[in-house]
Amino acid sequence: MLEIQELTKRYQRKAAIDQVSFSLRKGEIFGLLGPNGAGKTTLIRIINKIIEPDSGTIRFNGDLLQQKHLAHIGYLPEERGLYKQMTVEAHAHFLGALRGMSKSEINTSLDYWLKKFNCADWRKKRIQELSKGMAQKVQFIYAILHEPDLLILDEPFSGFDPVNVELIKAEMQEMKAKGKTILISTHNMRSVEEICDRVVLIHQSKKVLEGRVSEIQEQQKTGEYAVKFRGNMIAFVNALWIGFELIDKEILGDDRFIARVKMRGDNSFEDLLKTLMGQVKIEAAWEVLPSMNEVFISTVTTESDEK
Amino acid sequence: MRELRERLGSRSFILMAILGPLVVLTVTYLIFQFGGKDQQKWHVLIVDPANVMEHKIMSGEDPNITYSFATNYIEIEQFADEKRFAAFDAMVEVNEKVLSNKVAFLFYREKPSFNMSVNIRYQVERRLEEVLAKQFTKLSVTDFRKIKQPLNFAFRNVYDPKDVKSDLAGWVGLFFGAVIFVFIFLFGMTILRSVSREKTNRVVEILLATVKPRSLMLGKILGIGISAFLQLFLWCLIIGLGLYFMRETIFVDMYDASNQVAAARQVSDYNQFVELVFDRIQFGVMIFYFSLFFTCGYLFYGAFFAALGAVSGSESDGQQFLIPLILILCFALYAGYFALENPDSPLTTFLMYFPFTAPVVAMVKLSIGFAEGSAYQLFVSLFLLLASSIGVIALAARLFKNGLLQFGHTLRFKNIILWLKIK
Repeated sequence: MLEIQELTKRYQRKAAIDQVSFSLRKGEIFGLLGPNGAGKTTLIRIINKIIEPDSGTIRFNGDLLQQKHLAHIGYLPEERGLYKQMTVEAHAHFLGALRGMSKSEINTSLDYWLKKFNCADWRKKRIQELSKGMAQKVQFIYAILHEPDLLILDEPFSGFDPVNVELIKAEMQEMKAKGKTILISTHNMRSVEEICDRVVLIHQSKKVLEGRVSEIQEQQKTGEYAVKFRGNMIAFVNALWIGFELIDKEILGDDRFIARVKMRGDNSFEDLLKTLMGQVKIEAAWEVLPSMNEVFISTVTTESDEK
Repeated sequence: MRELRERLGSRSFILMAILGPLVVLTVTYLIFQFGGKDQQKWHVLIVDPANVMEHKIMSGEDPNITYSFATNYIEIEQFADEKRFAAFDAMVEVNEKVLSNKVAFLFYREKPSFNMSVNIRYQVERRLEEVLAKQFTKLSVTDFRKIKQPLNFAFRNVYDPKDVKSDLAGWVGLFFGAVIFVFIFLFGMTILRSVSREKTNRVVEILLATVKPRSLMLGKILGIGISAFLQLFLWCLIIGLGLYFMRETIFVDMYDASNQVAAARQVSDYNQFVELVFDRIQFGVMIFYFSLFFTCGYLFYGAFFAALGAVSGSESDGQQFLIPLILILCFALYAGYFALENPDSPLTTFLMYFPFTAPVVAMVKLSIGFAEGSAYQLFVSLFLLLASSIGVIALAARLFKNGLLQFGHTLRFKNIILWLKIK
């Protein structure tokens, strides 16, 4: 769907993007992650042909990215901006026309999305009459008005209340099911875990991590296991003895705990369960995978330390 | 198109396009109405101790002024304070030496209108001319006045003996040039504000994701330019029609010489102006070249305004860089005046080729007329202005592209140089 190959963009001597390559597949939600100033916005602007790269190529459905492809791309920038004097409808006509839509197509699409987002009565309102959240919603609609094959969302959840965040997420899943590709840049790692199929992490203008969310979590796991049990904590610790190491514990009340344990030597998860059985009542046990937030922090910190 | 539609739909455009010329017409009407037909009624006391005027004056021609005569001395303080003079609006002091020293004073309580002062001066002068002619010559008053006429000593160009291309025509050219620059400034500022606003509210990022920066900049300049042209056209149309209507109906007798004896000189000036406007100025040619120079000049300066809006960190940031631009516009107007005074100077020719001053200088030169065989200068000027516009647009587009997505900085000259270097 979108192939980015060895993309480089420098501002004076400083590289904003340095030899970054990755690709997006059709019908996936792809997360573009990175700390502030990593080069995410530069990359997004290059994909939108707002700025030109110094070197490298972008291919859209196999062809080199050209101006004509922009009609198939939807874009919601991080810094939201609309003409405040225009009505919701007039603004949709303006942006729709820029994307090559006819008047009737714009009207049909606008009707559909306004109804779907429960804001049909906003049609004749001026943008300045809308609250910040309402304006964000309208801007999201403008980004998908022309039903783009590739939707680029820069911090799509900022400014939305939890209800609308869920609404946007649901819409993204629906678009994905229809075969649309979505690229999101966000710092909201929980959302990344929930909706992204694959991610790329950019740090200091270079790609430092890429892959499926579950694979990355798998790669970065530290061999910790969690056990949720009812019983005596001292009995639990005594049972661990020298074969296992207690890392952390969480007291839940009613003699219930969650303990995080690491193996010592050749001990396995099965060995742990065998050891504990009869000492405490095990309610649940699982392998602890790092959250994307932890992956993000550890990767960024490690990379920075290495530099 | 959005820019044009927004301009045309905005209240300010409608107000400026319709109310603007209506205000101009109303002011013109009021000036004509109250300047030409003064409603003041004055009672004037002529203090003439030597009885030079013999209690006579050309009264009765203006029903708004009545004269009384006094042959005793009246001090200013007496006139100002005493009740017996309270009915008089003004006192004319004609001393006994008036025929030799030609000095007279009028002391007023409230300042007279222009027409009132012209009328009183004219009537007193006329009466004193009669006295002078009678006392010092044996001529009739009519002959005396013929002699008194100053010599009409006109300087004419040997190639233009009928003075078709007079200085007055040059002023019309300067007026056309000034109109170009006023509109360039007003609509240039509109471009600057529009770009800055789009930067401030960040809508520019969405726009750039659909159109190229150069197209966006040109669209903005052209959209606002078309609205400027339209507004200019409406101004010309409404003011032209309004003045024509006023001249043909309301003020049909205003400049009839028999009604305006007192303002003979103004009538003469007016007639010269009317002759200039209706007979000598070739409006077809002027308006054709006006349109071309307006378009090229607007594109040239419009690109500067657009670029300045794009590189500014905030709406107020560009103000400091606006001052040089305004100074250049002022200099261009001065260059037009210089061309008027020195139409054949080599510097004028240079200023006509110099794109910053070309629109106004070329209009002045066009209205004054070119010397034999030098009409090509006009085309050279137009060509150079057009070529410069294209060049400036190309440079401005680069600044526009590189500066438009830079936010929150304080604009410095080095930023501009840097963004000009980045391709």
